[in-house]
Amino acid sequence: MVPVARRMLFANRRRALLGVLGVAVALVMALTLDGIFAGSTRQVSRYIDSSPADVIVSEEGVRTIHMSVSVLAGSMVETIADLPGVAWAEPILFASDSVESASGARRPSYVFGYQPGGRGGPASLVAGAEPGPGELVLDESAASELDVRVGGEVQTLGQTWRISGLTTGMTSIVNTTAYVQYEGLAELLGRQGTASYVLVGSAGDPDRVVGEIAQATGQTAQTRARFSAEERAIVREMSTDLMLIMSAAAFAVALAVIGLTLYASVLSRLRDIGVMKALGSGRARTTRLVLVQAVWTTVIALALAVALTYVIGAIVAAAAPDIDLVVEALSVVRIGITAVVISLVGAIAPLFRVWRVDPASVFRRSS
Amino acid sequence: MNDIALSAQQVVKTFGEGETQVQAVRGVDLEVPQGEVVLIMGPSGSGKTTLLSILGAMLRPTSGRVMAAGSDITALPESKLPRFRAGTFGFVFQDFNLLGALTARENVELALNLAGVTGKPAHLRAEELLEGFGLASRLDFKPHKLSGGEKQRIALARALANRPPVILADEPTANLDSKIGHEIARLLRSAATEEQRAVVIVSHDNRLKEVADRILWLEDGAFRALESMATDPECGMSVDRLGTPHFQIDGQTYYFCSTGCREEFAAGIAAMIRGQPAKHLTAQDRCDW
Repeated sequence: MVPVARRMLFANRRRALLGVLGVAVALVMALTLDGIFAGSTRQVSRYIDSSPADVIVSEEGVRTIHMSVSVLAGSMVETIADLPGVAWAEPILFASDSVESASGARRPSYVFGYQPGGRGGPASLVAGAEPGPGELVLDESAASELDVRVGGEVQTLGQTWRISGLTTGMTSIVNTTAYVQYEGLAELLGRQGTASYVLVGSAGDPDRVVGEIAQATGQTAQTRARFSAEERAIVREMSTDLMLIMSAAAFAVALAVIGLTLYASVLSRLRDIGVMKALGSGRARTTRLVLVQAVWTTVIALALAVALTYVIGAIVAAAAPDIDLVVEALSVVRIGITAVVISLVGAIAPLFRVWRVDPASVFRRSS
Repeated sequence: MNDIALSAQQVVKTFGEGETQVQAVRGVDLEVPQGEVVLIMGPSGSGKTTLLSILGAMLRPTSGRVMAAGSDITALPESKLPRFRAGTFGFVFQDFNLLGALTARENVELALNLAGVTGKPAHLRAEELLEGFGLASRLDFKPHKLSGGEKQRIALARALANRPPVILADEPTANLDSKIGHEIARLLRSAATEEQRAVVIVSHDNRLKEVADRILWLEDGAFRALESMATDPECGMSVDRLGTPHFQIDGQTYYFCSTGCREEFAAGIAAMIRGQPAKHLTAQDRCDW
């Protein structure tokens, strides 16, 4: 078959390129928004994702750290540690505040209290040491932003803390993470003898351990993967409306560009379409002619948009390390499908124009 | 001659309604057997193109019947007409109407695709036709890189691609010089003679009379007998003897398209008698009077 649709679309390369670029820009907007959102939600669960725990125990009914308050009795740790299949159990305390430098620069922060040398602290230290009394470990990105370094001081939870060390990868577009000694934090919060969560290492099947803990304690136990998914889900739910509005704006731009590109292409080829009709092209074929052009424009634009989004991601990573732009395959598929649907909607007006072309118009003299 | 490939019976086409109603075709009857070349001539606005559109299944008549390749076009549902056109008619246009985005070969192949022939058979048939028309070196050229004659030969190859029983040509030589026009006329003739196609040509071009088996004169939407037609001696137009300006001299009657042409002719005669040269006017000047 002669690829008439493709030939017509690219007969005027400048127009085709402009159309593809226009759609690509709109899709880059959608992909970037999605990527930043995906990156942010991934950052939100980074503490859990980087934890060595297989199971996380929280107060009954509490399934997340974000937007939650969980209080467990300190004795719970020993109860859990004695359960079959449990290799180890450690408590952590959690509070939410801001970290503020002496110059007044501040960053919202999660503050985790853990037992130094244990498993609830930072996954790695890039500078300094674990916190002693009155000390904290801060993320290097936040430290850089606040212009503080190891040995320097910051304020959080109404107290001044000396920075003992720096960790990495724990600052997101939303907040950062700080680690302090468990006992100090418990005293500061007035929560001696309690834990916010209990991190549990399993000696066997984590799902089985989850069941054992739930049955023995009546508290909520989740595998790390489950807890992480819950954490991301709550952030996603909170941001869904905003994301929908922003994505809708991006797709509205894509729709307008696709519609205009196709309409311009169709208008410039009305005589050719008349000739095709005269030669025997029926409604189905002329419809396909327009739809194929729409899909071609969108598919090329999508490929270009994905490539551009990766480039933007690399630039953003270099310029603003806190912003994690993640292009997920699922996101590309979802935006791709939406874009194709949008392009088909954009083809409606050109289609009506094409359907109205009179095959007998070929007998009129062209000027 | 052989079987009737195309026929029209009492075909009428009316546009508009009430006071703005115009009857473009008035009760036309026509039969074109296989292998015949019919040339339809007539002044501008006489209904030639409307008739051609009706014969080519692109326009439905207000009344009457058109039969092509044994089928009643006027009874076919709208959805079936495109495929019917693809298999039954080959079209040749004054403006060539090649698709500018396609190469010469693809233009011909497209016609085959529309009739359901695809892939290698379509590819080979397009090549065979174009090579036969001396365009082997132009297969992958886009129309804008080709001459008028080459374009019209591609259009003719496209028209013949599906071996249609009927070829409909609208002013096929109008945009071509004399030599190429003659070549196209010869190819149309050969499509009728050698391939037994019925060829209907609508044209003002007198050169096409040489290849026509039959010449019909269409005026005001109806065929007129050619015996009633005369040629305006001033501008060369064919005119109906009835109701047109005329001039008698030495027992001979001359017929004119307009009083302007008649007066110019009369002035020329008078000047000749006086031995003076007549004032020179173009044919257009005279006919616009």
